[in-house]
Amino acid sequence: MNTSGVSQPNLNAASRKNLFRLRDVYRIYGQEPVAVHALDGVSLDIHAGDFMAIIGPSGSGKSTLLGLLGCLDLPTKGSIKVDQTEITDLEDSERSKLRGNSIGFVFQQFHLIPHLTALGNVSTALLYRELTKPEIKERSLAALEMVGLGERHDHRPIEMSGGEQQRVAIARALVTDPLMILADEPTGALDTKTATIVMEIFKNLQSENRAIVLVTHDLEIAEQMDRVVSMRDGKIVADDLRSERTDALEDRFWEAGKGGKLE
Amino acid sequence: MNWFREILSVALGGLTARKVRTLLIMLGPVLGAAGIVAAVGLNESAKGDVRQTLEKLGTNLIVASADGTFSGGQAPTLPEEAVERAMNVSTVDRAAGITEIGSLTVLPSQGGRDFFRTIPVPVLTSDQNLLDVLDAKMLYGRFINGADEDNVFRSAVIGQDLASDYQYLPGEARTIDVNGETYGVVGVLEKVALVPKLDTAVIIPKSSAEEDFDIEQKPTTLYARALEGTVDSTSEALPVAINLGGSEGVVVAIPSDLLEAQGAVDTTLRNILFLMGGLALLVGGVGIANVMSISVIQRSGEIGIRRALGHTKVTIAMQFVLEALFVGVLGGLAGVLAGVGVIYLVSAVLGWVATLNLPLFLVAGGMALIVSIIAGLYPALKAARLEPLETLRLG
Repeated sequence: MNTSGVSQPNLNAASRKNLFRLRDVYRIYGQEPVAVHALDGVSLDIHAGDFMAIIGPSGSGKSTLLGLLGCLDLPTKGSIKVDQTEITDLEDSERSKLRGNSIGFVFQQFHLIPHLTALGNVSTALLYRELTKPEIKERSLAALEMVGLGERHDHRPIEMSGGEQQRVAIARALVTDPLMILADEPTGALDTKTATIVMEIFKNLQSENRAIVLVTHDLEIAEQMDRVVSMRDGKIVADDLRSERTDALEDRFWEAGKGGKLE
Repeated sequence: MNWFREILSVALGGLTARKVRTLLIMLGPVLGAAGIVAAVGLNESAKGDVRQTLEKLGTNLIVASADGTFSGGQAPTLPEEAVERAMNVSTVDRAAGITEIGSLTVLPSQGGRDFFRTIPVPVLTSDQNLLDVLDAKMLYGRFINGADEDNVFRSAVIGQDLASDYQYLPGEARTIDVNGETYGVVGVLEKVALVPKLDTAVIIPKSSAEEDFDIEQKPTTLYARALEGTVDSTSEALPVAINLGGSEGVVVAIPSDLLEAQGAVDTTLRNILFLMGGLALLVGGVGIANVMSISVIQRSGEIGIRRALGHTKVTIAMQFVLEALFVGVLGGLAGVLAGVGVIYLVSAVLGWVATLNLPLFLVAGGMALIVSIIAGLYPALKAARLEPLETLRLG
């Protein structure tokens, strides 16, 4: 457990690049006296090579943290740096570009564009980057190959199973070679067998150059990660490394979620 | 350029993916443009036959006649040398006179005498070049010629309407009774649009008229063709030339002016129709904004994911504006074509001369395009303002 106030438990973190740096981040919705403090002074470092899960009960602030990590939202107060760039200083268009270049998203409901093929969906992530058509196609096909769907590149989402759709979404997330892949309940809509396949893909995507962050309710999924950040009431209450885990994660989770309600 | 090409391809993809919706959106500009083109085009086509006639007849015929206020019962006449004097005007290309002989009864030679006695038929003599001056043609037979004049033949040329009233069959050898004298009909004159009174008239040789009815050979009316572009100056010069020294007693008219007035499109009506077409276009524009706004809500997931993938608000807005632009271009074109189709169809059914107004096509198509783009702006801005966090439902 780290005690410095900054969630940064990795022992050899100093040797790895700091990709995301959150300091005293608050996200408050509405005005006092009815304001909701979704994030309450969160500080967190995410390094290249991190393979981490964010867990916590409903209302703990996971989704808000996910939105901020994904540069989809701005904090009410505090600092968020993505690879040395302070995102709170950026214009919306600059933030969009940073998001496109640095973050790959995977969602529980896949969010594929229904009228596009698998290749079209993956290619969408490479648009407006001054790449030629053949370059876009080549990189998109390579990403689909990585998730084992090269052969099915011309299929539309409706012609694919849930697991295949999620693999297309993963290919779309990694085709831009982002600093971080941010996955929101990536196995939440899948059966156990398919979920296992998807988790295997995530494991294979681990790299020293990027971080993979999963937000999940599934403790079995969290168990497979190297680092687990637990949240409660808008705060990070635990940040464990696999090597440091002496107690069962489940106990941690229940402890973290005390008073909260699990979904 | 690459950026624009990619956004263009995304917009096209969005349109082709939902064909029925795209067609529904397109209905607005199609109906609007078609409405404008058809409404104004039909209004013009309804007058097309008059204008076509005018084009054929020309607008350079001038009619000079004696002012009838001083002549009492006798038909007022021009000076005997009126035609020669008219030809002295340098801008007069050709001229011919006619002399109306008053108070004669004309009857078909056989049958129905009492009935026909009540119908007034003008009897007149004319110069032999009258057809040339009027650009008139014979329906059949021939016009009065030198032989008729020299030999004082009782030959007659009658107007097409009179032939029809008298139930003359084409080519039939018939005679006509002019004040008790029997004249042989040698020809029937085709309708003369610029001088409709000839359609019911009887034209006889001057020599026979003199002998049978003892008239003075002074023209009552003179027809002159002015050289191209000199109608106004010629019509001013003509009375002076005919009357030598004064314009009193001679009045001039340009019969094509009347036809021109008949053929002129009623601008008030045209403006009203244009406005109604514009209104249809406006309603179409509201339709575009409506359907596209619903589409933005339906596609909020797609918009959210595009934003998450790094697409800026500007590219999202451009995508929707370009979709509206495509709708406008295709809808405008289809609308103009549909409008032309309506013009041809209605003209064919009603026997009008289909008249196409090319600048109007550009106006109608352009308006469809502009309305579509403006209508697309609201949904485009709405799409751009969608927050990805709200549409992606995280956690």
